[in-house]
Amino acid sequence: MATIEIDRLVKRYGQTAVVHGIDLAIQDGEFVVLVGPSGCGKSTTLRMIAGLEEISDGQIKIDGRVVNDLQPKDRNIAMVFQNYAIYPHMTVADNIAFGLYRSKLAKSEKRARVEQVAQTLGLSHLLERRPSALSGGQRQRVAIGRAMVRDPAAFLFDEPLSNLDAQLRTQMRIEIKRLHHRLGTTSVFVTHDQVEAMTMADRIVVMRDGRILQVGSPLELYEKPVDVFTARFIGSPTMNLIPASLKEGRADLSIGGSVKVPSLSPSTPDILVGIRPQDFTPAEAGSSGMSASGTVVVVETLGSETLVHIESGDQTIVGSAPGREVPKIGEQLTLHAPAERLYYFDRTTERTLAVQ
Amino acid sequence: MSVIAHQQVAAGGLWSRMSLGQKQRIWAWGFLAVPLLFYVVIRFWPTFQAFYLSVTDWTITRPAAFVGLENYKRLLADALFWQVFRNTFLYLILGTPISLLISFTVAYYLDRVRFMHSFIRALYFLPFLTTAAAMAWVWRWFYQPVPIGVINDILASFGIPQQPFLRSTTQALPAVLAPAVWAGLGFQIIIFLAGLRAIPVTYYEAARIDGLSEGAILRRITIPLLKPTLVFLVVFSSIGFLRIFDQVYNINTNDPGGPLNSTKPLVLMIYQTAFSSYEMGYAAAQTVVLFVILLVISLVQLRIMRDR
Repeated sequence: MATIEIDRLVKRYGQTAVVHGIDLAIQDGEFVVLVGPSGCGKSTTLRMIAGLEEISDGQIKIDGRVVNDLQPKDRNIAMVFQNYAIYPHMTVADNIAFGLYRSKLAKSEKRARVEQVAQTLGLSHLLERRPSALSGGQRQRVAIGRAMVRDPAAFLFDEPLSNLDAQLRTQMRIEIKRLHHRLGTTSVFVTHDQVEAMTMADRIVVMRDGRILQVGSPLELYEKPVDVFTARFIGSPTMNLIPASLKEGRADLSIGGSVKVPSLSPSTPDILVGIRPQDFTPAEAGSSGMSASGTVVVVETLGSETLVHIESGDQTIVGSAPGREVPKIGEQLTLHAPAERLYYFDRTTERTLAVQ
Repeated sequence: MSVIAHQQVAAGGLWSRMSLGQKQRIWAWGFLAVPLLFYVVIRFWPTFQAFYLSVTDWTITRPAAFVGLENYKRLLADALFWQVFRNTFLYLILGTPISLLISFTVAYYLDRVRFMHSFIRALYFLPFLTTAAAMAWVWRWFYQPVPIGVINDILASFGIPQQPFLRSTTQALPAVLAPAVWAGLGFQIIIFLAGLRAIPVTYYEAARIDGLSEGAILRRITIPLLKPTLVFLVVFSSIGFLRIFDQVYNINTNDPGGPLNSTKPLVLMIYQTAFSSYEMGYAAAQTVVLFVILLVISLVQLRIMRDR
């Protein structure tokens, strides 16, 4: 167990910088998820923590110790890879025992540790099998087992669930989460999937283009995104953004109509009004808040809710209707969102506007 | 197409009445017929012919007469055969491990070299493209005494006595083997490189995190994962060394087989029996023996190295 402190971390390949001086302090026992689109530098950051990539500038401390020049094996971390990286020519037991390669335990003790880990992960009956005889989820569990067996200071996960099918991914998500609760080991998890980030993290780090945009708990990010990117990245389906211009305390929407807004101080009168689809429900227009009417173009029936896409002006807006209510395509529909559920962004800087 | 199809349907032809599966089978066998015919006529027929000839006394001047196992008895009693047998196995048991060891070492390190990687790889591959005859001649010059021979020149400059190489009964076989190993390196290196590239990088990264040393990674991960490549190359190069001929024939054209037959492999013996002595029946018997040796060795290697 350990803290991980990242201080002005830079990664350059030749002239190209891919990580631009990021700072991050990870608490002991915390589960931190680095999330962002591909090429945002999240994996590179993780690999620098692991010691698989050299650090161009800045510093990484694990448990207070600067590890910049330490070999991966000397950092006391364990890593789980996207393609599992379990060896096809070894049995499950040998693969897990590989995590103890450097340990000076007696053979019988190693064996006991492997069995203990296998039991935790429900692999006991598979110990003598080869990885080729395992399912994707079982292979991933073996990879986690190899990481666990050494009792490392921190777990590093590099998109470990991306190769699994949707159902298995959900299941493994829960398993990893439970495991973390039980072991309490500091974990850094890299993913491009915001659902994974939201469901697993104590804290989420949103990255883009080698920079950290926002750090916060899942709910903080959902409720108070700092900019358009985070607002659209977190939450599914993505937030609706409707261009508007401010005029005397009201915002005139590009799709028609206007909405009363709190006092904001944008750089120009041009703003974006954001509405999460879950807050945009079919209703009679209320006194406050915002309404949009349009023709229903697509209906996505999910059972628990029905996502309704309406065309209003030249924009498609996504709203949410209760599960059993399925509007017909071509129907006219009015969606309504309460005023306190609206988000405001500066259209030029794309930053969230502070309500004064 | 559709016009033809319509006509066939209208005519109620045989083709249109066939099921999809039958049509597929007809197409498949239609395409297979060409290589099958080729193999039967060009490969299998002569092979069976050789088996038949090996029990006759055919000498091209005289029609073949059945002699039973006479040729095989003669072969087992022939001192030259046992000499040649020994030589052939020396080529095999020296050539295969040495060439694989060198080519693996080169491939292992070349895999890490980025600078002029393709150029270096091409250099190693070049001998593989060169004709054995030309190569054998060049190496023959290398082995000459001073001032012609490069190798003796170098030895002399270090004050080491001149070596007879091709003229010696003990040195001739290794001297012939060296260019053969060198010529095959390019191919083996390319195959090893492909095998090395196929191992996912994360295997190595995971091993580094687990704290394995370079040697341990090589022993525990790289070599086991290269096993399919290794099996292929062992079998392939073993067959190559067992059938060695052109290197040997060309490096000593005036005396093929070296001093006191010290470099003569089985294929050269077959060649001389057939095309110098014209004892076709006897040569065929030797061919059958070579065939059996190749078959047994390949099967044994595949068996031993098969994934358990």
